[in-house]
Amino acid sequence: MALLPVLFGITLLVFLLNAVALGDPARAAMGQRADPEALARLRQEYKLDRPLAVQYAAWMGRLARGDLGTSFREQRPVAEVLAERAPATLRLALAATLIAVALGVGAGALAAARPGSALDHALMGVAVLGISTPVFWLGMMLALVFAVTLGWLPVSGYGDGALAHLVLPALTLGALHTGTVARMTRSSLLEVVRQDYVQAARAKGLSERVVLLKHALRNALIPVVTVIGIGLADLLVGAPLTETVFAWPGLGRLLVAAVGQRDLPVVMGAVLVFAVVYVVGNLLVDLAYLAIDPRTRRGAA
Amino acid sequence: MRRTLTLALLAAGLVAAGAAPGPAQAPRAGGTLRAVFGADPPTLDPAHATDTTSSAVIRQVFDGLLELDERLVPVPALARSVARSPDGRVYTFALRPGVRFHHGRELRADDVKYSFERAAKGKRPWVFEKIAGAHDFIRGGAAGIAGIRVVDDLTVELRLDRPFAPFLHLIAYDAASVVPREEAEKRGVGFASHPVGTGAFRFASWRRDDQVVLERFREHFRGPAPLERVVFRIIPAEITRFNEYRAGQLDLTDIPTGQCRAVQNDPRLKREAAVWPTLGTHGLRFNVERPPFTDPRVRRALAHALDPTLVVERLLEGCVHPARGILPPALPGYSPEVTRLAFDRERARRLLAEAGFPGGRGLGPLAFHFNTSDLNQRIAEVLQAQLKEVGVALELRRLDWAAHIKLVDDGSAGFFRQGWIADYPDPENFLTVLFHSRNIGAAGNTSRYRSAAVDRLLDEADQMATGPARFQRYHEAEQAIVDAAAWISLYHYASRALIKPYVRGLERSALSSAPEFLAPLRKVWLDR
Repeated sequence: MALLPVLFGITLLVFLLNAVALGDPARAAMGQRADPEALARLRQEYKLDRPLAVQYAAWMGRLARGDLGTSFREQRPVAEVLAERAPATLRLALAATLIAVALGVGAGALAAARPGSALDHALMGVAVLGISTPVFWLGMMLALVFAVTLGWLPVSGYGDGALAHLVLPALTLGALHTGTVARMTRSSLLEVVRQDYVQAARAKGLSERVVLLKHALRNALIPVVTVIGIGLADLLVGAPLTETVFAWPGLGRLLVAAVGQRDLPVVMGAVLVFAVVYVVGNLLVDLAYLAIDPRTRRGAA
Repeated sequence: MRRTLTLALLAAGLVAAGAAPGPAQAPRAGGTLRAVFGADPPTLDPAHATDTTSSAVIRQVFDGLLELDERLVPVPALARSVARSPDGRVYTFALRPGVRFHHGRELRADDVKYSFERAAKGKRPWVFEKIAGAHDFIRGGAAGIAGIRVVDDLTVELRLDRPFAPFLHLIAYDAASVVPREEAEKRGVGFASHPVGTGAFRFASWRRDDQVVLERFREHFRGPAPLERVVFRIIPAEITRFNEYRAGQLDLTDIPTGQCRAVQNDPRLKREAAVWPTLGTHGLRFNVERPPFTDPRVRRALAHALDPTLVVERLLEGCVHPARGILPPALPGYSPEVTRLAFDRERARRLLAEAGFPGGRGLGPLAFHFNTSDLNQRIAEVLQAQLKEVGVALELRRLDWAAHIKLVDDGSAGFFRQGWIADYPDPENFLTVLFHSRNIGAAGNTSRYRSAAVDRLLDEADQMATGPARFQRYHEAEQAIVDAAAWISLYHYASRALIKPYVRGLERSALSSAPEFLAPLRKVWLDR
């Protein structure tokens, strides 16, 4: 299985990056005025006085036993720290993906139905905007309009999991993704409709609607699914920004704060979670091919 | 029997508190105060906090023997009274009887001893190091701090090695909060996320990066606070805090960077905007052991070439004050007599030439280090432009805090940005910490400035009784440091807050700063 070497490589990379980065978690935890003795005690407590290779080996050894170590900053098990934030990020990423798929495929299909029309141009224009607008700015604008001015939705926060709190962050995080999915759906559909089997379906006298949705769309979705898989990376990249703008208590913000504090165990743990999500997400995409395209099933057998 | 003096300042504090011009209305009980932080508190344990966010919660959940009132005078809290021996070395605290912790037990004097010893091994040991025997204990040799003596259940005595004028400020600091031994020991590191104290509010819940919730503690020794609950939302983006405030979801927040004037001119917000000076100074420092800053002429040339009013007016919209010396005007002991090296480019050029760098030639580009923030970046650019006028090229080195502080501490940064905010309101906390030769390095003196004359002035002043003679020594030391250009002050910090008009009783002391108000929330009530 390719998963393990990838994860190993990632943890090693993160560990080495941290090693070359300036800064010391014990010092970062002390505030501006650091008592030299307290600092030395903390370094010892964090086991920073050991050689790097030993530190890494110790971390890997614990990981092999399913232990992610202890956060420097919070002095609690990393697994506990991650578990608190993971559900929030998972909900956000899932909602963003759902939005991207629903809006993206819908808009792409609409645009492809009348290529070159005003609607096509308008939809694709919005899609490009979605792709090119910085997450931070988009989030601020959405909050300004829908929360501060109109008062329809909360400005920020997790709100104990209330759905209303999820809408704006999910739209913000999903925007980039929606744009790519919409563009891919459109171009893929336009390509598919020129294929012989679609012409054949038309020749059978099926309505254009049935031809598009039943025959063309299904085949057109294969590259779209690929884009969704690749887009997972965008979601993971966008998460820290979205979570910051909307004060969403997720893994992205945790990771940024942990890097700032040089809280290496938390950084390693969070990166590991992101990596697993990415790898597993793309595994699911591969499985989705099987569901959509019968040919891949035969190929696998 | 030892003769003791009840401290005049404490008495004065009590009288003034009784006669304080408060609102004529009686506080209305009930409601939830919705406050906000910019970051998740790293800990809620007074022994381990080093930041204002943590302190803002700790001050509500815990009490100390003393606390500071609005004018920054130490007044009794858990202690009913305090007496100081004539030689200024022994302080005897009489505790209030019947004070209860949140879990129900009554406070005893040995809780004080336990709490101080516990915190002395935490992240702010310097708070306790003036107590006799603290050093032996912190280093691990002694079983306890010899200078802390539990006289009886309601009396505790603290003995110092030598007099230390701001000692009561240390005791009023949140690091010296009193914790119940059995809870702290039972929970271990978990105490940091489930604190138990005697404070007016008890800990209710904490969802990390989301919110901390406190509830009124009905059995507080001062009686129940008006507020029923306090919710501290954690919102990292200042624009989001501002939006939440405008949407009516926060009762107080900070004014975002660059919005100070806009808010003060906004017809709706200007009544809610509050700007007041706090105990902090934004400065630039040299490592005086690192060439070319070993030459005082080079440092002074740079100081003469910089005009802080530009930073204050253009970047900070006049919402802060340009600095003259190091001590902020809101600090007791501040002197308007201390003067900065005047903005004078001619003088700067002359000094550079004298040092062997006419027109800046031979100096090469100087690295200027600062920690990542938009404001710091813009300030650095202004400095760069101003120094260019005298022929000095500045290379900007922007690093995140952890990396910045490392270069500053280990002396590899020669010219760098550093702010200082008082832990407690006394000149010692600025001048001795930042410039005494015994504090060289991470302990505070990152200039690595060493002056026997300044050390002597500071040592004398630190031990003297509060008064003009003591402050006079600090002023002399301060002027010497400014003249040596070991530090160049730019401006003094101010708190820039938005507070809804119905929030009453929120103290705006110089130690309290938005969005992490350190003010006692037990005095706050909602008039709506």
